[in-house]
Amino acid sequence: MTALSYSYYPGCSLHASASEYDLSTREVFASLGIGLEEIPDWICCGATPAHNVDELLSLSLSAKNLELAEQVPGDMAVACASCFSRLKFAQHILGENETKRKLVEKAIDAPVHLERRVKHLLEILVRDYGLEQLATAVKKPLSGLTVACYYGCLLTRPTDVPNLDCTEAPTIMEQVMEAVGAQTVPWTHRLECCGANFTLSRPPVVQQLSNAVLESAKTAGADCIVVACPLCHGNLDIRQKEIEGVYETSYGLPIFYLTQLVGLALGVPQERLGLDALIVSPQKLFRDKKIN
Amino acid sequence: MKKKKMLLSQETMDIAMVRKVEALSGTSVRRCFQCGKCSAGCPMATFMDHPPNRIVRLLQLGQWQRILAGRSIWYCVSCETCSTRCPNQVHLASIMDALRKLSWDQDGPSKESYVQLANRLFLENIRTYGRQYEMRLAAVFNVKSGQFLKDMLLGPKLLSKGKLKVFHQKNKNMAEVEKIFSRIEEMRRKGEAL
Repeated sequence: MTALSYSYYPGCSLHASASEYDLSTREVFASLGIGLEEIPDWICCGATPAHNVDELLSLSLSAKNLELAEQVPGDMAVACASCFSRLKFAQHILGENETKRKLVEKAIDAPVHLERRVKHLLEILVRDYGLEQLATAVKKPLSGLTVACYYGCLLTRPTDVPNLDCTEAPTIMEQVMEAVGAQTVPWTHRLECCGANFTLSRPPVVQQLSNAVLESAKTAGADCIVVACPLCHGNLDIRQKEIEGVYETSYGLPIFYLTQLVGLALGVPQERLGLDALIVSPQKLFRDKKIN
Repeated sequence: MKKKKMLLSQETMDIAMVRKVEALSGTSVRRCFQCGKCSAGCPMATFMDHPPNRIVRLLQLGQWQRILAGRSIWYCVSCETCSTRCPNQVHLASIMDALRKLSWDQDGPSKESYVQLANRLFLENIRTYGRQYEMRLAAVFNVKSGQFLKDMLLGPKLLSKGKLKVFHQKNKNMAEVEKIFSRIEEMRRKGEAL
């Protein structure tokens, strides 16, 4: 097998509020011997605010990133669920709508590149690297750890755009977690929205939706939640304490990025996975489950 | 919202605007047969004055101004559940985008100014820095919305965890991003883009 290698699009959050996701992604890829080279001077994908009010701008920003990705060979590896969604949306819409494609080409003053395959980390681990191989690379299986895999909105929806997994009953994250030795639970809110970018403009909405997610995971008997999106992470981790206050309850659920748990199982030392950046500390859980 | 009797006639039904929404969103409102699945699965429906299925019905009847006068479009969180579950491939999440754009262009009658403020600051940051600059986004939002103490307790904690970067990142493509913004403005001025 030739060595896998990808052009990496981290996105803005991974360079700031979700730096532990970036750190752990790099560690996991290095540990598995998968090449990961960051696209030089990538720009913001526009996220939700851009497509919310100006689709042409949103498509143009993604098209520009696809053009910038031409500098680095390999399929594009994306960690953030929102960036992933925007890039896939751009490819989908620009591929089938000629009018919009022409407008975007004018806006970026360059031809649109649609050939590059955009892949989420989960796809790379499951389909390119392979679960069996991943399981063999595990040095410290996460046995005894019960995780709730949280997909949120943009990893799987809508039909025909991300094409990562089934929209209503995905299993790709559970497959990865089970390959590294963790136990997964079925739960009701794994595809429900956390409130997303209303965290800035309307925190009470986020508190209500994220509370339902936390409550569902806790009721299902999970020790922790694993996510693949910086916004889901922020809402569930950073706002967890405040949610516990508002709803007069206690969850104490550590929220991990999927690469942090995979990294632990691969034997990457804790301090290199940015675990100290988590607001809800996982240390008690690690002690109870004898994970180090 | 005060209930006003809806009279349907050529004068009260603005179908041209609805066609614009269809062109922007790339989806047809005529396909909807009001099954209500979109509203059943919508996490935000309880916050809305018009639930998602009614938005489509109002469009079918040419009543887009009623939608823009309400708050529903600014409570949609773009979770894509409606688009995913529609049995008739009505891409409602894209229709919401198109409606927000109409409202945005008219500097909307919307009462939901916090969301518009957040969107505007987010886009200004991209235009200026090429990438999102979260620290500035949160700080300026609090100042401009007059909520100086909002999330005050989170700030120091996030800083100590390295989650807030005080300086923005240098990017070689900053000028290129500005060009994309200005080209789009130019195309709109000339009427080449919706």
